[in-house]
Amino acid sequence: MYDKILLTTMGEYMDEIIEHTLNLIQGEAEVICIYVVETSVPFLTPKKVKEMMIDELTAKGKDILEDMSKGFDKPGITFRGLMVEGNPADEIVKTATDEEVDVIVMGTGKSIVDKHLLGSVSEKVVHSAPCTILLVRTAN
Amino acid sequence: MFEVIILVLSLIISLIIVIKAADVFVDSIVEIGLALGISEIILGVTASAVGTSLPEFGSAMIAILTGSPDVGVGCAIGANVWNIAGILGISAIFAGLITTQSQEVRRDGLMAFLTTLTITTALFLIGEITFVVGIVLIIMYVVYLWILIRAQKSSKSKDREMECCEADKNLALNKKTILMTILGLFGLAIGCRAIVYSTVELSIMASIPEVLAGILLAFGTTAPEFFTVLTSAKKGLNSLAIGTVFGSNIFNILIGLGIPSLFVTIPVEPITIYFDAPVMVFMTLLLLFLIKRGMKLTRVEGIILVASYIIYIVTRLTIFS
Repeated sequence: MYDKILLTTMGEYMDEIIEHTLNLIQGEAEVICIYVVETSVPFLTPKKVKEMMIDELTAKGKDILEDMSKGFDKPGITFRGLMVEGNPADEIVKTATDEEVDVIVMGTGKSIVDKHLLGSVSEKVVHSAPCTILLVRTAN
Repeated sequence: MFEVIILVLSLIISLIIVIKAADVFVDSIVEIGLALGISEIILGVTASAVGTSLPEFGSAMIAILTGSPDVGVGCAIGANVWNIAGILGISAIFAGLITTQSQEVRRDGLMAFLTTLTITTALFLIGEITFVVGIVLIIMYVVYLWILIRAQKSSKSKDREMECCEADKNLALNKKTILMTILGLFGLAIGCRAIVYSTVELSIMASIPEVLAGILLAFGTTAPEFFTVLTSAKKGLNSLAIGTVFGSNIFNILIGLGIPSLFVTIPVEPITIYFDAPVMVFMTLLLLFLIKRGMKLTRVEGIILVASYIIYIVTRLTIFS
């Protein structure tokens, strides 16, 4: 039913997200896992600090994508890791549109306080996604 | 009233100039260092430690050397209290959780505590920051920097990928870099002078002591720390968040007060010796206690830190003003 799946992760609750994605797959499928390095920083953040943040987030992203690829190392599944820079919600929607995916799988489960203080990527994606979305309720 | 508005505007504009000039200066210095063949590790460690703290250092230095030592001392100590209780507290509230590693707490946390303890003890015993105290502070910073560089070297030697790229990063020294360094330094000097002038004038108009004005000035000079810590905590870069606070607090005292004391003995008001400095030690201990419990700072602990800051500043503004 779902031939092309876009999976989003920030490195949390990976096992739950992998498990739910595998449940969606019947036969063969292509899984694209996207990790977005959020590059935006406030105006007065030192340039060197911004570079350091991007370096650390990129290194973290590489590890996460590598771990994710192990979770999908199964017959019939083609895995592709994708690391992009920018606003997470915008990049997820853009990739889903460009790649013409059938479904987006992402975690959700922040508390109301966290949603207000940190924002919610999944809520933003829900409003502008070009396809079906599976929101995996995570341990939060 | 018009004069107050002009001074406040001048303070805000000069703060932005200083923060941006510090950015340009650190960037250019790193490029010059690379061109001269200085190790990228040494440059990286120094740049990240100095980068966010230059506004406090510049303001404290200019204030002390231009006859307003209370503003300088207030700015350094005020920045340290605000970094821990305000910035880290607010960041923990927003991020919900800031985790840390025992190695970082043992190295940077212990050094931050030793720093505050050294300066407070010196103030209790001598009552001012003399040349000898300054030398001790600077030696402590050199030792700390050496420990940081050694730690960085050992972590980099484990990462072959990063090591192989190091050779490619030698840059040629060009005129633009030198010009930017001079411009950055010029912006820092002019901006810090304007900050100190505006702060002193505003403190006279508001009839508040210069030390208190320095403590309040720290809200502005720590803006780079504020945005660094808050953003990195929200992005889950916890080591950067905690490391920035400890690194800045160590730099503010050891270099921010150490360097100016080589040129002039810094007199310190009794209220700073017997109230502000002990509060700084207490806040450092409180942070270490909260972090040590589970190697993390939760939202509730963030609220405790911010509440401690509010109690401090209200007491300072009302009872000890």
